[in-house]
Amino acid sequence: MSKYILRRLLMMIPVLLGVTFLVYFIISLTPGDVAANILGVGATQEAIIELTEEMGLDDPVIVQYGRYMGDLVTGDMGTSYATGKTVSSEIGQRFPNTLILTISAIFLSVLISIPIGVISATRQYSIFDNVGMVIALIGISMPSFWTGLILIIVFSLKLGWFPSGGIDGFSSWILPAFTLAIASTASITRTTRSSMLEVIRQDYINTAKAKGVSRKIVIRKHALKNALIPAITVIGLEFGVLLGGAVLTETVFSIPGIGRLMVESIQRKDTPMVLGCIIIFAVAFSLVNLLIDMLYAYIDPRIKSNYS
Amino acid sequence: MSDSLLKVEDLVIHFETEDGTVEAVNGINIELAKGRTLGLVGETGAGKTTTALSLLKLVPTPPGVVKFGRIHLDGVDVMNTSEKDMEKLRGNIVSMIFQDPMTALNPVITVGDQIAEAIMIHQKVSVAEANEKAKEMLEIVGIPGARSGEFPHQFSGGMKQRVVIAIALSCSPKLLIADEPTTALDVTIQAQVLELMKDLKIKYEMAMLLITHDLGVVAEVCDDVAIMYAGRVVEQGSLREIFKNTKHPYTEGLFNSIPNIDSRKAELKPIRGLMSDPYNLPKGCTFCDRCDYALEICKTEKPKRIDFSETHFSECHLYNDSLDFQLDINKTED
Amino acid sequence: MSSNVDAIKADEIIKTKKRSQSADVWKRLKKSKAAVIGLVIIVIFVCMAIFAPVIADYDTQVIKMNISERLEGPSSNHFFGTDEYGRDIFYRIVYGTRISLFVGVISVGIALSIGGFLGAIAGYYGGKLDNAIMRVLDVLLAIPAILLAITIVSALGSSIINLMIAVGISNIPGFARVVRAAILSVKDQEYIEAARAIGAKDHTIILKHVLPNSMAPIIVYATLKVATAIMATASLSFIGLGVQPPTPEWGSMLASGRQYMRDQMYIVMFPGLAIVMAVLSLNLIGDGLRDALDPKLK
Repeated sequence: MSKYILRRLLMMIPVLLGVTFLVYFIISLTPGDVAANILGVGATQEAIIELTEEMGLDDPVIVQYGRYMGDLVTGDMGTSYATGKTVSSEIGQRFPNTLILTISAIFLSVLISIPIGVISATRQYSIFDNVGMVIALIGISMPSFWTGLILIIVFSLKLGWFPSGGIDGFSSWILPAFTLAIASTASITRTTRSSMLEVIRQDYINTAKAKGVSRKIVIRKHALKNALIPAITVIGLEFGVLLGGAVLTETVFSIPGIGRLMVESIQRKDTPMVLGCIIIFAVAFSLVNLLIDMLYAYIDPRIKSNYS
Repeated sequence: MSDSLLKVEDLVIHFETEDGTVEAVNGINIELAKGRTLGLVGETGAGKTTTALSLLKLVPTPPGVVKFGRIHLDGVDVMNTSEKDMEKLRGNIVSMIFQDPMTALNPVITVGDQIAEAIMIHQKVSVAEANEKAKEMLEIVGIPGARSGEFPHQFSGGMKQRVVIAIALSCSPKLLIADEPTTALDVTIQAQVLELMKDLKIKYEMAMLLITHDLGVVAEVCDDVAIMYAGRVVEQGSLREIFKNTKHPYTEGLFNSIPNIDSRKAELKPIRGLMSDPYNLPKGCTFCDRCDYALEICKTEKPKRIDFSETHFSECHLYNDSLDFQLDINKTED
Repeated sequence: MSSNVDAIKADEIIKTKKRSQSADVWKRLKKSKAAVIGLVIIVIFVCMAIFAPVIADYDTQVIKMNISERLEGPSSNHFFGTDEYGRDIFYRIVYGTRISLFVGVISVGIALSIGGFLGAIAGYYGGKLDNAIMRVLDVLLAIPAILLAITIVSALGSSIINLMIAVGISNIPGFARVVRAAILSVKDQEYIEAARAIGAKDHTIILKHVLPNSMAPIIVYATLKVATAIMATASLSFIGLGVQPPTPEWGSMLASGRQYMRDQMYIVMFPGLAIVMAVLSLNLIGDGLRDALDPKLK
């Protein structure tokens, strides 16, 4: 098993390398003169040329990329064009906030969606099921930034229960976490339900019933474990969506996380910062996927035996 | 026979779907004494599996509805038994094994655990004892007990079916319902599994309801045979009576459908037509369209039950006037 | 030669089978009330998009500022009220439909053609080609789709075309995977072997046998992806990338209306509802299609 983990970690490296290359290349297409932007409007031609040379911006993209990667390996992600502080320090400050947000959102989602999905499946066509599925459909159709705005209007501006932004204290995390969680909850619920429905129709469920296993245990022990397998895949995918969604939620709720940092950096053409943010996102997402795959192998013995 | 282990009376089961009502089982009567093996023969769609499931009260009841009938199992009135009490019977007094071994086992639970589970539900033993018993069961069906910690995907089809049998017999049931247990297996494996079942039947003094469409299997294992068509038993009798003194055209058709391995020149004689649409069963005899002996009365009136002996009956208009009418198959026999 | 006659007969049988197959699917689709509602809604949106110039004049009613009428609530004059520049929100939503649908469909088209092509050859030919393509796509997949789109748009600049490219590219790996999986499931079926046995060429097999039989999951996926593409468009415009003012787009309307939402709730309510309805309708249709095309469910 640990061989598997090691192998996957090694496989992550070329992927992440590819990510850095791809993103570096895309961003290098950004129009505009970096040095000129940094120095501002009144800068002289000479000053611009000097800074350009100093920063190595006149070298070919490949060379710049190589330099960047060289620094990256030592943990140096460069310096922000906008603030002058190191990228790693800024990201280090803000990353925890994004982490708290996404983890609480996924936690909430899984907590709500799996039971509802299971109940819906076992009571297919009931009112609970029908209403639940309608709500889930609407849930995946609501853009998170709009949901956030509406929640702010109702719970913050009108009712005053929660703050409308910032990260002052526990209550300020509630609305953002819920906002992020809505779409993924809906999605995971639907997947759990359809997966359960398929599993319930399997022959081995009949075998279990014919043994005299009580209905509750059939659902919990025999059906659920099998149904979770595809559900876990979706949870992993949803995490990726959540990471993207964090960008929007942080903007709506003014949370100082790396999602918002990335957007601001784009607007300020702060390339090193943008790069840093994307890399962190990609690393986080890849690690989550690795975790999901490990969980997968742990639950499904058919996969485990492929790696033993 | 008041000592019959299983007694089914006038069982009628319908499936109510969006597209109409399927008349799956239309008045079945079955009696099975302790230790006897009854073969339930018929093509796909005859209602055999539904009948079997109903004995354990496992027919899915949103679409399925038991319209009528009584089922007595070891003295218990199944229709009026609660789900909780049924759970006590299942796997304990009566066990069922299903057709496809490839899908009958839970892929994420070890075979040992799946056997032990049945034991722990019905018997007051510790986990360790149940696991020991599970290993013993594996040995009984011919699988090394050391493999009890393995998962189903690590076994071949034939071995999986043995595991299924081990699960079914783990609590020494009085009745085993086997739904096409060998259909999905290779011929050579079929023979092995059948041998195993025969041995276990004797060893456990079990009654068996063997559902199959294969008359060869019936000849190997069964004491009595019931032929099902379109939800009714159209002929029933002892093995000898059915094979040597066939009384229903459908049964004759089944025998004729078996390729004759001795005579290479003989032509196959399939039963013409298809089984009637279960959404729309005909008014008269359901076999009428496909029957070579059909009479006028067959189209309009359902045939009555005609008894040829204490154990042998058939539902067919051919015998309304005389019990001596002989089907062609009986004439051409040695 | 009799084989020609047989071939013609076989062709006819295949054609009639296909016709009744799609008629069958349509019938099953109609059965689902949800899918029908979805269809109705999307048709309404499409009509709004097509007939927008008839409903309102772009220059005078959609982008022209009208400060005297700013921030008015919904009325018979302005169905959904006016925004902070006095522009009629309803008319802006109608025109916004054009952008959302346009970007949605085109970006999915881009993703389907490029991603689909890659997935098809990866799935069909397998081996090293498959491996290589999937490795490259893994790189794209390591970045959450929205973030990839954000990066691309920020690099290329904010415009509708770049929006389409960005959203399209971010969807390529998804389509490649779905098409590849669909092809893999069909490829090993026996009728493919049969086709090869009679000497059919690769591209014929792919076009005539593999693709038609693997269409179902691809169609469902594409429908659902148009829904997410519409959301992505709105999201990108919300954070200021993509459509620039004064062009009306549902997401950017939310962004600019945000500061007034405390007292003029309608200013964020209606554009948001438009997004929800459009996305919901496509999800309904996608779900309905999935059930209608599923052979197991009948």
